[in-house]
Amino acid sequence: MLKEPESFLLTLRGEKITDMTVRLGYNHRGIEKACEQRTYIQDMYLVERVCGICSHSHSTCFIQAVEEITGLQVPKRGLYIRTLISELERIHSHLLWLGVAGHEIGFDTLLMYTWRDRELVMDILAIISGNRVNYGMNTIGGVRRDITAEQIPQILSAIDTLEERTKYYIQVGTQEITLRERLSGVGALSKEDATHLGAVGPTARASNVDRDVRRDDPYAVYGELSFKVITDNHNDVYGRTLVRLGELMESYKLVRQIIKQMPEGPIVVKAPRKIPAGQAISRYEAPRGEDVHYVKANGSDKPERVKVRAPTLANVQVVAHMLKDGYLADTPIVIAAIDPCFSCTDRAIATTNIDNGRTDRMDWPTLRTYGIDWYSKQGIDFAELNRKLRTMRESN
Amino acid sequence: MLVEEEKIKQQLAERFGLPAEKITVQRERRIWADVPAAEFGEIFDYAVDKLGFVILATITGLDEGPTLGVIYHIARESGIILNLHISVPKDKPVIKTVSARFPAADAYEREMVDLLGMQVEGLPPGNRYPLPDGWPEGQYPLRKDWKSDTIGKTPVSPESGASRGKEVEEDA
Amino acid sequence: MGLVQKIVTWARIKSPWIIHFNTGACNACDIEIIAALTPIYDVERFGVILRGTPRHADVLVCSGPVTRQIKDRLIRIYEQMPEPKFVVAVGTCACSGGVFNGCYNVEGGIDQVIPVSAYIPGCPASPKAIIDGVVKLLASVDNASKPAKEAVVSGT
Repeated sequence: MLKEPESFLLTLRGEKITDMTVRLGYNHRGIEKACEQRTYIQDMYLVERVCGICSHSHSTCFIQAVEEITGLQVPKRGLYIRTLISELERIHSHLLWLGVAGHEIGFDTLLMYTWRDRELVMDILAIISGNRVNYGMNTIGGVRRDITAEQIPQILSAIDTLEERTKYYIQVGTQEITLRERLSGVGALSKEDATHLGAVGPTARASNVDRDVRRDDPYAVYGELSFKVITDNHNDVYGRTLVRLGELMESYKLVRQIIKQMPEGPIVVKAPRKIPAGQAISRYEAPRGEDVHYVKANGSDKPERVKVRAPTLANVQVVAHMLKDGYLADTPIVIAAIDPCFSCTDRAIATTNIDNGRTDRMDWPTLRTYGIDWYSKQGIDFAELNRKLRTMRESN
Repeated sequence: MLVEEEKIKQQLAERFGLPAEKITVQRERRIWADVPAAEFGEIFDYAVDKLGFVILATITGLDEGPTLGVIYHIARESGIILNLHISVPKDKPVIKTVSARFPAADAYEREMVDLLGMQVEGLPPGNRYPLPDGWPEGQYPLRKDWKSDTIGKTPVSPESGASRGKEVEEDA
Repeated sequence: MGLVQKIVTWARIKSPWIIHFNTGACNACDIEIIAALTPIYDVERFGVILRGTPRHADVLVCSGPVTRQIKDRLIRIYEQMPEPKFVVAVGTCACSGGVFNGCYNVEGGIDQVIPVSAYIPGCPASPKAIIDGVVKLLASVDNASKPAKEAVVSGT
């Protein structure tokens, strides 16, 4: 019989989770090995596709290591453009997350609105880079395309609109009782556990872990920009939502600063084909958290070693802890709240019941529906909020 | 400018008698140290508990020819990264787990087990990562002498009834 | 034919129920597939629904180069779909393995594992290309509902 390894194995007592293990590797494509067999420029395209949602994060993190080994000084304007794309990526990613989170709990209006808003960012990214996703803006030594004067008012106008809309989502997030009740106390993670288990990004910051690579280990032009690192002490999914909303507002401010401060000048410096022997470690604050790339060069046109530690790998090990003593019904949103960089809608879930020894298998959509129905029976139902939001927005 | 980094280098050198040329301050916030595998445990604990390198960014395994290398990338909250490199012989590639101190190391160490054939003592029981079940024994993809086409495509199971697709002319 | 007209034609042929499956993709194609279903493109008004289960689906929309670990699950999903069924490979990885062609843990495209009815290239495939490709696929099927194992389509 065909074997299907489950991604998540939950042990249940009644409706409560007593234990959980995660099985990874579905997305293992052998990228690190492939990097050794391709040139640095080819690897740039490959590394960009580690994750399509934060592709610029991986591309930049990789290139920074290569540039450091080579001793290249990327021109200021090139760095500013890189940083601009970084923040635009953070915006699109957080809006995407808001929609996905809404979908996981049955708050589908949020999905529709945030993904519609997100199209504004996608358009800007397409105007700047030529593609909606996988922008290909980086090259070794700088960026490949410049920002033109015509693009600037478009960028700023999109940011203005998004800021207005995000203020609205913050209002919904902080004032709608249904949302607060649904997300509070769910996926609990204390500051001590977040630190001990190595959580990163908004997941950690929602447990009051004040870490952000942009501030702590500055790269690109973050050393010249002023921004707040958003932390929260709810220690739960509600906190993770607030952190991402706060980061959106900071990103809008950052985009405006970047545009204002961007100097004239070249955007790229020529890079050699062969990278001299050496090594470097590069860190980057991707939307999901700390991304780490290590590169070792050996004097040829191909790297000796490329190591990628994506933020989700750090956070997925924390999920088991968050789910323990929680309800099965919370599983979809708790997993979604770390903003996993794998397509979680396809993952199979197996549950074993301690009391009767029964093993069940569920696919993700079934588990999502189970969660929505379970909470509905507790009186937390988004049908009303969905209706209310639709009429409110339509009347605006 | 690199006052703090130089201080860390000095503390490590003095405490463990490490030769100065084995510790490099590459730039601000970047220190690389080559340390003997036998003393690694002590050095690691000292760096983490006494020097404030409380963040484990990742662990990198490398094929160095006769040896397997391991680099532990640990960071301070203020941003300084200390990269501790050790080498172990390829015919006896044994290291001790650091997952008691850093549970996150579990995944990074398993990666080296699967992809390089490292042996990690003390790793708690768990699923392999990242290779699939049924991956042939003794095949370590990240070793330099391993070719990507060593393992062919997995055969389609006859019970499945699925057939391979066909390519047809593009419709203009 | 304008895009809207294409969609209307498609909806008349069938209101396809779709299941989406990621076989190890980087997520770029997946978010473009989902983007195709939300307000800007909004194909739900034409009866296209994203289902969670293969047992109710007509079209399997697949992304990714098929990693070894996911291969059996892909086959299982394909088998659970009732006839007539169609498979759409979305994105260059699903078509041929894309950038991951030759990587050791990758089968190299959906058609290495199950029969594919339509190929939509792109890295990622844009929502417009996805809709265009699915429309062409369904337009190429006649109403006797034979499974079109050999129809190949390219999106623009």
